Amino acid sequence: MANKSGNAYALTLLCPILPGAPPGTEPGIGAKSHVACLRYELQQQVRVSEESPMAKVLNTYLCRFYVLDDVPYQGKPAILEHLKSRYLVFSSNFHGELDDYLKGMWITIEPEIRFILDHCVGFSEVSDVASFIAYIKKCQVKTTFFFNGSNDDPLAEQLKALYLKQEFSKFVCENQGRNPADLQQAFRQFIKRAQPENTANPTWKAGAYHLDRVVSQ
Amino acid sequence: MDTVLDLDDIQGNVVKAYGRYGYPVARYLFFGIVAPEAGRDFVRSILPHITTSVPWPDLSKTPLAATNIAFTYQGLRHLEVPDVTLHGFPDEFSMGMKARRDIIGDTGPNHFHRWDPIWDNQEEKIQHVHIIVTMDGKNEDALETRYQLIRGILAGVNGRSKDGGVVQLTGHRGAGGDDPLYQSAHGLLPKPAELGYPGGKEHFGYSDGISTSYFQGCGEDPDLVIGGGKPVKGDPKTKEGWAPLEAGEFVFGHRDEAFEYPEAPGPPLFSRNGTFMVYRKLHQNVGSFNSYLEAEGAKFPGGMEALAAKFAGRWRNGAPLVTFDTEEKANQYITRLAALQVKVWANQATEVEKAEFAKLNLQLKAYDYDDDKDGAKCPFGAHIRRSNPRSGLRFGNVKAFADEPGALSNRRRILRRGLPYGHSEDPTRDDGDHGVIMMIINADLSRQFEFVQQQWFNFGNDFHLANDQDPLLGNHGINENCRGEGRMVIEGDAKTNKPPYFCSRMPTLVETRGGDYFFVPSLTCLRMIGLGNIDPT
Repeated sequence: MANKSGNAYALTLLCPILPGAPPGTEPGIGAKSHVACLRYELQQQVRVSEESPMAKVLNTYLCRFYVLDDVPYQGKPAILEHLKSRYLVFSSNFHGELDDYLKGMWITIEPEIRFILDHCVGFSEVSDVASFIAYIKKCQVKTTFFFNGSNDDPLAEQLKALYLKQEFSKFVCENQGRNPADLQQAFRQFIKRAQPENTANPTWKAGAYHLDRVVSQ
Repeated sequence: MDTVLDLDDIQGNVVKAYGRYGYPVARYLFFGIVAPEAGRDFVRSILPHITTSVPWPDLSKTPLAATNIAFTYQGLRHLEVPDVTLHGFPDEFSMGMKARRDIIGDTGPNHFHRWDPIWDNQEEKIQHVHIIVTMDGKNEDALETRYQLIRGILAGVNGRSKDGGVVQLTGHRGAGGDDPLYQSAHGLLPKPAELGYPGGKEHFGYSDGISTSYFQGCGEDPDLVIGGGKPVKGDPKTKEGWAPLEAGEFVFGHRDEAFEYPEAPGPPLFSRNGTFMVYRKLHQNVGSFNSYLEAEGAKFPGGMEALAAKFAGRWRNGAPLVTFDTEEKANQYITRLAALQVKVWANQATEVEKAEFAKLNLQLKAYDYDDDKDGAKCPFGAHIRRSNPRSGLRFGNVKAFADEPGALSNRRRILRRGLPYGHSEDPTRDDGDHGVIMMIINADLSRQFEFVQQQWFNFGNDFHLANDQDPLLGNHGINENCRGEGRMVIEGDAKTNKPPYFCSRMPTLVETRGGDYFFVPSLTCLRMIGLGNIDPT
């Protein structure tokens, strides 16, 4: 089935980028077209790190923004073709339902969304959650390929599971071979510290991309 | 139709592991070219002495010494191979091994700053080594005679050259701080108290060099396809379970496992029948190995020898864990095999003994991991299961890529050449100059050697082992207490309720001491280089 695989949702958007320049920008001082502004905002805002605004959006497994300039030419006998517009592409794999996800996205990072989508055709009509969801659905294209790096559990559970796996490996190496009483005591301490039922803390940070930076205690 | 190779055009070390043919000693010589014409003169002069891959059916008529030659990218530049041809080489070859350190794990204890001086260990960009000449001998006298022949050739070249000639490079770390003129290597025979398949030992006490890849047209014993070829549908204990790999995995100009010719520079005559060779000097931390094995072996159920076997996937005497699950069975097997081998080699075996020997010998290699899909016998992280997973990457799911059981490993195969070097005088110490000279032959450095090094030795994902590394060859780093951070899971056995065992804080046991990537030309190509008549158009 398109877009959904179990509890995982794959969203792809193609948002046409406005032609020309935003009103009020001065010509001649660097690149100021909508597409140039958009590239600038993407590079400033959506960094690959735990500081990416998308790391704050709950249940995002993996996402990516990029500008689709044109279709590539593949050489004769293919026909040279061009897109009518440039597009902002947003693809995201997340847990749960689309409306819930978009609502969370709007509530969490509305200013950052505006910085980016303000350069796209029709976004000026968006004023609240409902119109944002309607806008996104208008730009949505059917998606059938999913990110294969996670299952379809909520992100917080997946991050906690990875944290627990890492910490339990350390526990095993440190306590292997101890007598049952000591082992049980150490295990109780481990459980107390690692809090397997508590998905909020301690756990891995969303958006982290290096082992040294994942653990949040 | 199987590929037929021009074995008299392919250098001998591509097809033959000389150690198996009774050449237990070797010297590796390195040269820098100062004057291009002198370099070409050297190539022309040494050419009549280069050993080819022509089969040696009668072992009594083999030469006393074998000689082979290969070149770094900088070496080919100094020989004035045309730019258009040079640009046809893949990046990893032109960059050289030092520059590929982040990919192959030559960082931390393996960093080039710790290499032997001959590899320009202070400078990333400099590469003075242009030529390697390898000499394998039946004994030291034969080797010395061959060495003097090469020295004579060099003297002749330099006598004819007016502008610098060719320089024999030194800077090998010698045992006693000396500066030897070449890197020596020699087979290590088992000590009297040790059992072992008499293919030779390495410094940790393992029998080594048992397994080798087998490919179409190589002209070697067809029985070597068992365990050496690629796994196919059929019983892995018989020839029905194996097929020769395509020649293009190891030799340019022939079809490879993707049914393509491997990437190689033009003109076709230049690269055809040539290949790449990786030369790596690998120091062995014998003291660290022994102390870790002893300390951990005291705790490991089964003891020290069983733990050593779990690291490698073979008992130190060579018997594979998948087939021989106890030390007693492994010892019985190897004792019988070694006794029969002595008779066979001395031509004193009866027909019955010959048949028994052939059958037992097969057991060293005739297996896969379908009967061990939980890793209860041979751990997933064991060295031989990582370096040659056979059909094991389908994890016992025989329906997975049913027609190509080795679909995930057939393009990662390599040929292993080389011998141990030095002597470990004190089993409690790491220092000194002893280890293994590894020479790896493959047609694609990136897809074969570098992939195995990066993904299978220094990472664990393909084996469902997270970021664990190969216990023996992995770079386990050095932490603030001068210890490594290596880890290995030794799987338990659900059938007998045996729990898994976890090895942690493993020290780095093997460290890189130098090396580079070399192009091994065909005899035709050597003549082209020597004559300087390569026309890339």
